[in-house]
Amino acid sequence: MSASSAISPPAPKEPVRASPAAPRRTHSSLQHLRATVVLLVLALLATGVVYPVLVTGIAELADSSVANGSILRDPNGTVIGSSLIAQNTSAPYLFWERPSMTDYNTTLGADTPPGPSDPALGALLNETIAYMDVAWNFSANHTLPYWLVAPSGSDLDPDLVPEAVLIQIPRVSEATADNSTLHFVSVIQLTDLVNSYITNPVIPYVGVTYVNVLQLDIKLLSLIGK
Amino acid sequence: MAFEVQSLWDVLVVMGLALAIAPWFGSYLGRVYMDRPVFGDAFWNPIESVVYRLLGTSPRHQMRAREYMLALLLVNGGVLVILFFWFFFQSTTPLNPLGIPNMGWDLAFHSASSFTTNTNFTHFTNESQLSLGSLMVAWPLALFLSPATGLAVLAAMVRGFVRKDGTLGNFYVDMTRSVTRLLLPLAVLGALVFVLLGVPETLSASVLAHPLTGGTQTIYLGPVASFQSISLLGSNGGGFYSANMASPIANPTALTNLWGIGLMLVFPFSAPFAFGEIVRRKNEAWPYVGTIVIVLAVALALFIGFQAATNPALSTVAGLGAQTNGYPVGIDTRFSLSEGSTFQVVSVYCNVGANNLQIGSISPIAQLDLLFGMFTQSTPGGVGTGFAMLLLFAILGIFVAGLMVGRTPEYLGKKIHTSHVKWAAMALIIHPATILLPFVIAVAGNFVVVDGSTIGATSHNFTSVLYEFTSESANNGSALSTGAFNDQTLFFNVAGALVMLVGRFVPILAMLMVADIFSTQEVLPAGVGTLKTASGTFTIYLTLFLIIVTALLFLPVMAMGPLAQIFGGM
Repeated sequence: MSASSAISPPAPKEPVRASPAAPRRTHSSLQHLRATVVLLVLALLATGVVYPVLVTGIAELADSSVANGSILRDPNGTVIGSSLIAQNTSAPYLFWERPSMTDYNTTLGADTPPGPSDPALGALLNETIAYMDVAWNFSANHTLPYWLVAPSGSDLDPDLVPEAVLIQIPRVSEATADNSTLHFVSVIQLTDLVNSYITNPVIPYVGVTYVNVLQLDIKLLSLIGK
Repeated sequence: MAFEVQSLWDVLVVMGLALAIAPWFGSYLGRVYMDRPVFGDAFWNPIESVVYRLLGTSPRHQMRAREYMLALLLVNGGVLVILFFWFFFQSTTPLNPLGIPNMGWDLAFHSASSFTTNTNFTHFTNESQLSLGSLMVAWPLALFLSPATGLAVLAAMVRGFVRKDGTLGNFYVDMTRSVTRLLLPLAVLGALVFVLLGVPETLSASVLAHPLTGGTQTIYLGPVASFQSISLLGSNGGGFYSANMASPIANPTALTNLWGIGLMLVFPFSAPFAFGEIVRRKNEAWPYVGTIVIVLAVALALFIGFQAATNPALSTVAGLGAQTNGYPVGIDTRFSLSEGSTFQVVSVYCNVGANNLQIGSISPIAQLDLLFGMFTQSTPGGVGTGFAMLLLFAILGIFVAGLMVGRTPEYLGKKIHTSHVKWAAMALIIHPATILLPFVIAVAGNFVVVDGSTIGATSHNFTSVLYEFTSESANNGSALSTGAFNDQTLFFNVAGALVMLVGRFVPILAMLMVADIFSTQEVLPAGVGTLKTASGTFTIYLTLFLIIVTALLFLPVMAMGPLAQIFGGM
């Protein structure tokens, strides 16, 4: 057989396609069923119990006020709200939040305003502007900042751009003058107060300059003695 | 708040960082699925071998495509059944301190399908229709197992390129490793950073507040940080709150928003590099990265550009101040234009579907931009399946290129036959089919009810219904509008659930069948006629191929909805 190499066929020019692999042993139905059930039970334990409990445990150690929702309380310990979400502040002597399609009702979730080219959107904004003009004694040819009249994405946006808060100062000051049960707060005092609540981005261009209206209003209430 | 170019720096840095770690993380990803030695073996190997013993399987047991698909359907079917019965009997399930009632069978079916298929399109209001247990135990099961399924499919499909014995891996092993090595550690990290940045994480369901002007306000709480972390990381996109990432509790600051963008990009950016690692040709990753980056960059530029413009429809509103940032309606104050927009574009293009603004309120061209991302569902697409879809596009593209120059098309040394192309084309065709058929039935059958009457003929309503089925078919989960029409109906629940299930599992079947054919083929040496796929030319070709094919499939329906809205002003 020493000359066998001489009679071996020439190598094919192109490798031929392999024949499909031989059938291999598959898991039986019972094995599949067991694997599926055990996998689901283990996953339920790992993702539904271990994961949230582990993260919550570490979070409570780290910073419990943040972990529990940044809750704001009055001096008596009653919960006023959360600094993270807006609430209805539309009293004449308070700074108003952005309008909410759900009237700040957290149970309703968020609602989408009319579409951008829908005439209903213009009508909605007109209605809001007219309401504010009357409530705030504005002259009809006054313009209101876009952010103040536009409903927010979450319907619970607690923040406003500074110009939308500053424009409310004359109304708030007037309301404290009109109401004998409140301490009067002047425009100058209010301007200082609002300026002290303006939050600028810590790192340039990361986030925006805004005012947390709920925190501002809580401070304002202590000033007017209510 | 006019748009300033400098304000882009933070989002560009975050996206750049996600891209910078992608080669390293992608390589880790690939090594995990190829059982090559990786960081963490010493810790996880003993745990995993216990898990395998409990499961009654072993990494040595390798499955062919049919068995792999069977196991995949069993596990995903199991998730579907668990979630369905959990929601159907919600009032009696554990952890229901607020006494949330049961869901109807159709809503429970829609919700369970939605979470199982990585879609997370919701027809309910979380606050009043989901218990704490549903949010903490039931839903997270799908938040973890659906991206794990996507990763397993990707691993199985890519293994087809390097194997010759017809096997694609062991589904149970792939699922286990997806959770232990990738999803669980990253989700814990993501959640802890969220907590540090101010997102709540507690086991109590709500706090009752007494607002300044009287009345009461319920502040809904719970394990928000851990929920949102895995929701974004796993391209799920479900929100702990119905406002999703627009909610100031779930996404309280610009930094949480940036962290969210990063989480969403980790897997989609890394997938091409995992592919390069598995096939041991790292350069082959770059055409895909290039395509993804080009499409994403154009999408982002268009979105920001049209969001910064003024809204002509509002020019007649008297008393409205300057529209320096054209579309603040439906957008929260705390994100800059570039931050809010980037989150939204990345979310939809990565098939996450979380929203940090009201999509129904943004510019019509920006809406079209988002629709396009769901039409391609692969730039970069959801965890695992997004890149697998891009591979199918590439296979089709190489096939077409081969026909044009008269060569037998091949990829990575494996010839592409008609049988590959049939399966790949099916994965592509099923997408418009599951959008257009139910869409036509919904409109023609008068199932679209707005404020008690059937659909008004505005393009916006039309776009809303189109967006709903597109989002469900692409397993995206973003919703155009909550108020445009009532989707909590029998028709939309059942049709939506079926669309999501078909839109998820038929493409997965196609991916596995393509891999099945590849996995029995010999590897041929590259010849003079071999298309060089690791090249700039191929990158541009793939990008254009993807855009043209998508446009051909969807242009008619785009013309009727968003384009009519843009030009017709209805």
